[in-house]
Amino acid sequence: MLFNSLGFLVFFALVLAYYYTPVFSWISKKRMLLLTSYLFYGLWNPPLILLLWISTMVDWITGNKLAVEQNQRRRNLWLALSMVVNLGFLAFFKYGNFLLENFVWLAGLAGWEYQPRPMDIILPMGISFYTFQTMSYTIDLYRRKIEPARTFLDFALYVTFFPQLVAGPIVRAHDLISQFYEQKKATVNQFIWGAFLLTLGLFEKVVLADTLLSGTSDDVFSAGKPLHILDAWTGTLAFAGQIFFDFAGYSSCAIGIAMMLGITLGDNFLYPYGSIGFSEFWRRWHISLSSWLKDYLYIPLGGNRFGPSRMYIALMLTMLLGGLWHGAAWTFVAWGFLHGIYLVIERLLKRYVKVDINWWNGALLALFTFFLVNLTWVFFRAEDFASAGIMLQSMLYWHPEGAKILGHFDIIKVLTISALLFASHYYMRHHTLMMLAKNIHPWILGVVWASMLFLMAIAQSAGEQFIYFQF
Amino acid sequence: MQLKTSLLLAFVLALLALVSWEVYLRSQGRVPDLSDDKNLWARERAKVDQLGREDVILTGSSRVLFDVQIYEWEKLTGRQPLQLASPGSSPLPIFRDLVRNTDFTGTIVVGVTEGLFFSTTFPEARPWSRPQTKVDHYRDRTYAQRLNFALSLPFQNNLALVSINEEEWSDDTNLKALLGRIQIGNRTGEEPFPPFNNFACADNNRNTRMSARTVNDTAFAGPVQRVWLAVGRSRRDPEKEATMAYFLEDAQKFKARGGNLILVRCPSSGMLAAGEAMGFPREAFWDELVSQSGARAYHYKDYDALSHFECPEWSHLSGPDADVFTREWVSILQQDNALITAKAQ
Repeated sequence: MLFNSLGFLVFFALVLAYYYTPVFSWISKKRMLLLTSYLFYGLWNPPLILLLWISTMVDWITGNKLAVEQNQRRRNLWLALSMVVNLGFLAFFKYGNFLLENFVWLAGLAGWEYQPRPMDIILPMGISFYTFQTMSYTIDLYRRKIEPARTFLDFALYVTFFPQLVAGPIVRAHDLISQFYEQKKATVNQFIWGAFLLTLGLFEKVVLADTLLSGTSDDVFSAGKPLHILDAWTGTLAFAGQIFFDFAGYSSCAIGIAMMLGITLGDNFLYPYGSIGFSEFWRRWHISLSSWLKDYLYIPLGGNRFGPSRMYIALMLTMLLGGLWHGAAWTFVAWGFLHGIYLVIERLLKRYVKVDINWWNGALLALFTFFLVNLTWVFFRAEDFASAGIMLQSMLYWHPEGAKILGHFDIIKVLTISALLFASHYYMRHHTLMMLAKNIHPWILGVVWASMLFLMAIAQSAGEQFIYFQF
Repeated sequence: MQLKTSLLLAFVLALLALVSWEVYLRSQGRVPDLSDDKNLWARERAKVDQLGREDVILTGSSRVLFDVQIYEWEKLTGRQPLQLASPGSSPLPIFRDLVRNTDFTGTIVVGVTEGLFFSTTFPEARPWSRPQTKVDHYRDRTYAQRLNFALSLPFQNNLALVSINEEEWSDDTNLKALLGRIQIGNRTGEEPFPPFNNFACADNNRNTRMSARTVNDTAFAGPVQRVWLAVGRSRRDPEKEATMAYFLEDAQKFKARGGNLILVRCPSSGMLAAGEAMGFPREAFWDELVSQSGARAYHYKDYDALSHFECPEWSHLSGPDADVFTREWVSILQQDNALITAKAQ
């Protein structure tokens, strides 16, 4: 089920009605949340709920064993069971075709013309998200960092909680499970602020990403020929905006919906395009994934404990795998590789060059960071390396006679949105939305809110999926 | 923070803005309109499994959609045909779906608009991908999509401001269409495509009629005529052999299991009809298709009762003319015993 659909509005209204009916106990409300979360997921493809159940059962059992088991060898085996099941699902459903394609390619290099039958594997929605979430629970228990969930209901709800089930934020057990122990109820202000975040998220998705930016981005990236520099940059900037508004919009919706239920989810995006440098960018972009990769991949790979060379290797490996997490294609690996290179260069520079950041040079450095981030989006969005190559060449003015495929209005529209996006992110580096809302007159907030509602109503989403569902 | 004040104000202002927008659109002559999209098509397609041998399925492109009025048909035969034609489409993907994925043995009418029927078998080409998307959607649609569609129907049927069409008409009033109408100069140097305004009105059973404005306002119908000419100019050479072979394979299969296949060529007029006659000579396309398929076939030019119509925008009949066309054609079909009836069985 999509947040940007009429079905969800009805679904959520019914959930809220039950949740805030005083006669029901907290346990019955949690049961209702669990069942409706399965319904939320199953309305897409009912049989794939089985994967969720298996993942839930395996991590519940391994978690309980890890909580009491003292024998280290057995502890390793229980952890391995969880890893094999979760990563096995991910490998089969998400990377099965990719692995097969690469196997066929390698076989071809070795002179073996192998032609397997296509596997036609369905990618279960949100599998990368819930898999990482359940794995974090088991790994944290293995590390003795958390206590096991008190009841199966609490744990199953942690894995399946519908606001963040299919596209995050990837929530850690210690942040969410304990919230299910006591009855939760949003205050009036929390409820209204949650509704505002839900509106904001839907506005970002429906109006900004789908209506204003996606068409331009699609036109440019499907052109399949060298483009004029202005068209190439406009298309790339449109995609940079589209993917931010799409994904940050989903996160805002998830956080807002949870808040309306009195449950707190952490921030997932903090104005990333205003970042000065890539370390900061990854502290602001998809925070729940980057912190997951840091805790469960970068640090176990050695982190910065074994000297600079090992640190750079750990960093590169983390970013390469982070790239692959986003999609089963080498273009995503290239995207992660570029980010890894940027991070390595930045750390090297920081060792030798000291810069006092003020507002002005900070703005220039943030703009430069934004420029470099846009180069990486080309690999993220392009269908293959050949298309990415043509696009990068066009952006670097290698094709002065490149085709002009966009109209003036499209260019003005995208450049205006991109400029506002960058400026607002740079301004918001040291602010929060809540601070901003507190400092403006309630009538202004009301007018902004009404404008978003009106524009969403006339934009009339055709129920486009969120980009990150495919990851 | 005074969030209650903001919420109340937001609700009131948004409601006022939406009511004002609805009133404005209606003052401009807009009426609530159902989007004839893949969801509506899939809902009709789902009815095939309940159909019997006496039932009729209509396939083809927009001419069958506009020209065959299912309620008129029902008055004469007692059975309402199922409308599965798809505008701007080759009928081949939908016909294949009906032949391969159902065991329907009643009557299938295939509308033949030569420029679409013989256009292509390339899956990415628009005349093919468009109907194939509908077929795929019927197979793959989720329960969530079915729920959303069902919930959207009251809004589509009662609010003029709900204006999201698969066709992406030039005069749609959703935000994307409104912004798409803003043109500043001509940077690409390409000749702009004529505005393709909505001239159709579909109901819950996909019965489609031409809007009264298209019939009465030549200034409104003119741009639609220019669209047909532009489409004709940009058309690639037909793939006659490939399309014919594809269709004949399914036609034989359908007839072999006892199905009744009827081909129909609906009227066209003006420069479009002249262009079609030049680009797709009857003897080389229609006659050969009829001969090779062995199906009952009805070309509007062969019947006095069907050949006197004038299409307001050269390609489709007005609503009242479509009623007459349907009645006349069904009478001819009945005289020919071309439809399967309980008596005949």
